[in-house]
Amino acid sequence: MGQLCPEAWLAREAMRVCSGARNKGLWTMMTRWMHSICLTLTLLAAPLDAQAQQRPLVWGDTLPATLDPHAIFDVPSQFTLLNVYDGLYRYQGNPPRLEPWLAESHSVSADGLTWDFTLRAGAKFHDGSEITAEDVAYSFRRLLTMRRAPSAAFTPVLTPERVTVTGPRMVRFVLSEPYAPFLAAMPLVAIVNPRVIAPHVVNNDWGAAWLAANSAGSGAYRINPATYQARVALDMERFPDFFQGWSGNARPIDSVRVRPVLETSTRVLALMRGEIDATDSYLPTDQVERVERNPRTRVARDESMRVFIIRMNNRRAPFDNRDARLCFAHAFNYEGFNNVILRGFVVRNAGPNPNNLWGNPEGLAPYTFDLAKAREHCDRARAAGADLSRPIEIHVQNELEQTVQAAQMFQADLRRVGLNLRIVPNTWPGITGATGRAETTPDMWIHWVSTYFVDPENWVGQMYDSQFHGTWKASSWYSNPEVDRLLRAARTNLVQAERQLLYAEATRLVVADSPDIWVYNTVNLRGLSRRVSGYSFSPVGSGGEIRLMSLEN
Amino acid sequence: MALYILRRIALALPALFGLILVTFILSRVVPGDPAATLAGDAATPAQIADIRARYGLDKPLLEQAFVHVRQVLSGDLGNSVFSGRPVSEEILQRLPATLELTFVALFFATIIGVVLGLIAALDHNGPIDHLVRIVSVGGLAVASFWLAIMLQLQFSMEWDILPLRGRMDVALGLPPRITGFLLIDSLAAGRFDMFVDALRHLVLPAVTLALPGLATIARFTRSGVLEALQKDYVLYARAAGYGRVRLAAIYVLRNAVTVTVTQVGLLFGALISGAVAIEAVFDWPGLGTYAVQAILSADYKALLAVTLVVGVVYAVVNVLVDVAQALIDPRVAEQIS
Repeated sequence: MGQLCPEAWLAREAMRVCSGARNKGLWTMMTRWMHSICLTLTLLAAPLDAQAQQRPLVWGDTLPATLDPHAIFDVPSQFTLLNVYDGLYRYQGNPPRLEPWLAESHSVSADGLTWDFTLRAGAKFHDGSEITAEDVAYSFRRLLTMRRAPSAAFTPVLTPERVTVTGPRMVRFVLSEPYAPFLAAMPLVAIVNPRVIAPHVVNNDWGAAWLAANSAGSGAYRINPATYQARVALDMERFPDFFQGWSGNARPIDSVRVRPVLETSTRVLALMRGEIDATDSYLPTDQVERVERNPRTRVARDESMRVFIIRMNNRRAPFDNRDARLCFAHAFNYEGFNNVILRGFVVRNAGPNPNNLWGNPEGLAPYTFDLAKAREHCDRARAAGADLSRPIEIHVQNELEQTVQAAQMFQADLRRVGLNLRIVPNTWPGITGATGRAETTPDMWIHWVSTYFVDPENWVGQMYDSQFHGTWKASSWYSNPEVDRLLRAARTNLVQAERQLLYAEATRLVVADSPDIWVYNTVNLRGLSRRVSGYSFSPVGSGGEIRLMSLEN
Repeated sequence: MALYILRRIALALPALFGLILVTFILSRVVPGDPAATLAGDAATPAQIADIRARYGLDKPLLEQAFVHVRQVLSGDLGNSVFSGRPVSEEILQRLPATLELTFVALFFATIIGVVLGLIAALDHNGPIDHLVRIVSVGGLAVASFWLAIMLQLQFSMEWDILPLRGRMDVALGLPPRITGFLLIDSLAAGRFDMFVDALRHLVLPAVTLALPGLATIARFTRSGVLEALQKDYVLYARAAGYGRVRLAAIYVLRNAVTVTVTQVGLLFGALISGAVAIEAVFDWPGLGTYAVQAILSADYKALLAVTLVVGVVYAVVNVLVDVAQALIDPRVAEQIS
């Protein structure tokens, strides 16, 4: 190619081929045609002036289906929650610390029922109006009346009329029963600006249709609704009057373009080519080395709180038998999956709570891959009348390759102990839609439990207390009165040291019963451009707080 | 001719009605609970039941089907059960991207396919004919997603001359939306830099999408031209002293492309549905990626609307093809009239 740039080389070669074509008969037509193609290629290959200008940050992670922070709660929605909105409290860092955010402080009555929050002064919404206690109360009433996903942590203990304003900067919540994770769940709730929403309310919808594609927040970034395309493009500009100020970041990022990339291979290539600055935080482990070899990209690795679980339907035979469950638990090759297939980019997790969370019992030993033990438990289960001859169905999330890989490996090992596992491709909605009833819940299925709030209640509490049966989190349909008692006591006890002991004991009992198979705690892997600095990971939001980052050019 | 067009339209209407009904029933019998999806990850069974009731998902299937058909006939495609926004708005945002890609691919495929088919026929059993045959068989045989990734690796990663994904460089922003077609909107805004950038982004997905269509058109044109060349009028024209190129381009081609035009109509539908995989690989924000997201999130309202829109586009194109055929060959309209 010599000293020529690729564009010039291509143009020269193309013109050489064109001019060399024979110029008679049919070739005349072909030559003219080739000339046209060559000229087009030359034009298209010309570099653009715009590429020389500073690019905004291009964030390649998934966007939520709706921008309304009270209408949805999943991992992608945390991005808008953290960047466009603020809550009373927020998780920061890893391990996550719960810090006062829009609230200055809080107090709780001795009976655990009355929670008072004092707002900090001077925080403003994007329209410049000050955030008041009335706005906080409105936000909670909106959340509790709409009764969509983020309200799930509150609706059992809180009703809209029990959220009251007790002063210009004071909000009071009166719970129907003590609920210790109340503060831990507080970051789930975005404070919205009722004055911006009010003109757009239609049929008492609390402005939900409008807020699905607009914003009414106070966060570090403002959305540009004119360029927003659901799940395709979200443009954000820095909010200079953000209440936390910008003194902590000497070179904050002014413009952010969120452009989710659907295909993993395209996402990785786009990062390596510089078209995006960040992938999602679940970079396939086989791509890590490739991204790190590229001089302009790197991989941020951070242990998260996201447990990989193989569920068993404890209400359906053979999984209503403890030995049958133990047989399966000993037939999964944890080391092979974690260290070979996932190349060691995960951490073995012994129980339902992530290893790095409080509330785990001391010295909790994980189940081991031991086919002899598995056979022994299978024999005992058969002796007790369990039918292990039928094919067991395991549902995988087809678009998530790891779930398929785990099922395939499990299938091969189970065959060695005489068990027949049938892999059923499915999707997240397909599976969670079926987990509402024990009869329709699959024999087995694979998923992760991410961090919605940092409390054992998010994992062991909501997965194994029988009062949550019918939710996807409790889809193993496990039932143990002693575990129920311990978890309910932990939920209503406000003394942290006592809660810790209660959760530890409940976890010990659950692990002994082996209702599910817990495989690993996730190490989040996010591909990043080297021009991004200041990236700071927290299990809540997976490092998506843009206000902490800077851009080199 | 007007009667002929009305007849073609009248034939398309029952097909569309059937499409609305069948797709609705299919969407509701497949596993998956849109209410659970809509409620989100942290929802309780009570919240899911509440949403099911609010969206009428707890009603009998026939009643739901009736409501759906009535809504669609009144022009209301409903709200996405996932985003809560009107599906028609979301589709209007996405449709131009798919149509722009499809039109450009079809344009490529038709122009190059017809020229290649004509050249191959004129060089019957010659080296060009063999070459075109190899290209056309290859074009039909190659898997689109594989070709897409190969083109990305070569043109974007290795040679670094064309963009990898998307419709426009983020640094340029987007032209003011008039049609949603970036090529047209950028020219309307007087932004030639945006026009060139949009064109650069179109090259790889359009080529990938066009290749199988190009192969089909080349094969049909070739056989049409070969057949026409055997006709008596060609012999007389030759005897009258017409040159080979003039004869082929003016007389033979017009008679030979009737079948090709039908193929172009069929291809349009195939290209729109084929765009699903290509849009995913090139991260093209069109109807295909919208459909994939709707499937993965069990957004049945969105899925029904996408199917209907594609069906309508397909029906319209078929009517246009019929009209084009009648214009090229007046005997077609006369026969049916």
